[in-house]
Amino acid sequence: MANLSVSICGKELKNPVIPASGTFGFGREFNEIYDISLLGGVCTKGLTLERRAGNPVPRIAESRGVILNAVGLQNPGVEAFIQEDLQWLKNKTRVFANVAGSTLSDYAEICARLDGFVDFVELNISCPNVKCGGMAFGVKPESIREVTQAAKSNLHKTPLIVKLSPNVESIPVNAQAAEEGGADCLSLVNTFTGMAIDIERRKPVIANNTGGVSGAGIKPIAVRMVYEAAHAVSIPVIGMGGITCAEDAIEFMMAGAVAVQVGTQNFTDTLACPKIIEGLNDWCDRHGVKQITELTGTLKLNG
Amino acid sequence: MREVTAVILENKKIADEVFSLTFATEEEIPIKAGQFCMIGIGGHALRRPIAVCKAEGVRITVCYRLKGEGTRSLASDYKAGEKISVLLPLGNGFSLTESQKKIVVVGGGVGIFPLISVIREFSNEKEIYAYMGFRNRDAVCMESELQRTEKFVISTDDGSVGHHGTAVQALMKDWSEIRPDAVLACGPAPMLRALKEAVKGKNVPVYVSLEERMGCGIGACLVCTCNKQDGTRARVCKDGPVFEIGEVEL
Repeated sequence: MANLSVSICGKELKNPVIPASGTFGFGREFNEIYDISLLGGVCTKGLTLERRAGNPVPRIAESRGVILNAVGLQNPGVEAFIQEDLQWLKNKTRVFANVAGSTLSDYAEICARLDGFVDFVELNISCPNVKCGGMAFGVKPESIREVTQAAKSNLHKTPLIVKLSPNVESIPVNAQAAEEGGADCLSLVNTFTGMAIDIERRKPVIANNTGGVSGAGIKPIAVRMVYEAAHAVSIPVIGMGGITCAEDAIEFMMAGAVAVQVGTQNFTDTLACPKIIEGLNDWCDRHGVKQITELTGTLKLNG
Repeated sequence: MREVTAVILENKKIADEVFSLTFATEEEIPIKAGQFCMIGIGGHALRRPIAVCKAEGVRITVCYRLKGEGTRSLASDYKAGEKISVLLPLGNGFSLTESQKKIVVVGGGVGIFPLISVIREFSNEKEIYAYMGFRNRDAVCMESELQRTEKFVISTDDGSVGHHGTAVQALMKDWSEIRPDAVLACGPAPMLRALKEAVKGKNVPVYVSLEERMGCGIGACLVCTCNKQDGTRARVCKDGPVFEIGEVEL
């Protein structure tokens, strides 16, 4: 048995596997299938100050190796989450609260509400599916710095993770901007903006026209971006993008991630996360790795 | 709900572009009429939500139309003896009260299959009247299952067999004769809208099973939500797929 525990911003996780925001709700449904307390943590559905109804349907489409989604941040609002789900989830595992807003003050306010109540706040500044979902903040380094500062100014007890968008000019520049703004950790990548067309109807499959692309097909791009981010900053990085198995998770860790998030694969296989945790243990045992933290950033580039 | 690996017993064409897939689970899983399962297809990130048509002990049958790459692969790449990953049972299914004795089921296209599960579950204790709509003669299937009902009427769009017209039109011709205690329906949105219009003022509970593109199938991802009349949204996979007809926007 390898030691799978990892530490992020001084908080210990029993393993580095965290279901990604938007694929896991607040954990209750998956907990009907397996005990979610075996996870390193759970990243919540994106929360906003007020309840949001989200986009019209269809909200999802499939393309080879990937899916596209445009749910549009449907959520019950931060207050309902705190009242109805937070304590239940906290009793199970580490809680990563993913938050989104449309103004700087939205971000500041929601962070103030969650400070001290959740284990981590993950700032969603890269939701590609809503006009005011933070995407405006997530593209340019100046606005990333600004929104990170606004969030950080109201987080005194809870570490701040900034989730980076891949739909940008420079990952290293944006990673550094988040670090300068006060981020305690980065996570990446969010989804790539894409489109799928129903050629019979000559219309986009998704009602929102465009959607966020995720799933196995994006993995090599995500690994490259995690590598770039991890080498541009001194804060920890959580990697994600197309992870389907333990070997994929290990790639991200070698590229520089201290932990990983698993998204789309939860749809393909509801037991994806427990299987990845088991697979990480097996891989470490087979390779004589005593502590999984030994893997982070061990990639050696070809000469 | 459970994540299981099942063994395929049969996967065969039963009508034009429609296949019937029967698989066996290791142990018997209780399934209510109108519930569905998510079927994993190799190489596809999204599972396909498909209504359960028959549940006989460990043998479960689902029927699906060839629609895109996923269902085409399911039809051509999965043979008897092979394994398949299935998440089930999902959704609320149809519920009937003791006092609801005369039941009408009205279905169109692949919407007939969850209603077959209703007929199988309730035909011993209830009087069931079935109104099933198909495109044409080649699309007609499940006739032996329909024999279990008090009466069934097949409608086709082109009149090549049965009533020439829609299932809802055929039902309304017989309505005053049956005077049902409840109507259960599943089919394309235009059919459900026509039904809603037709039963207005009849004061009979009508339950519809909705179809939507899904992500997780268990209520976590909020991909398949529908608008409720009260302004909130419901998850088709978890709060549905069966709703009272006045409860949701069609």
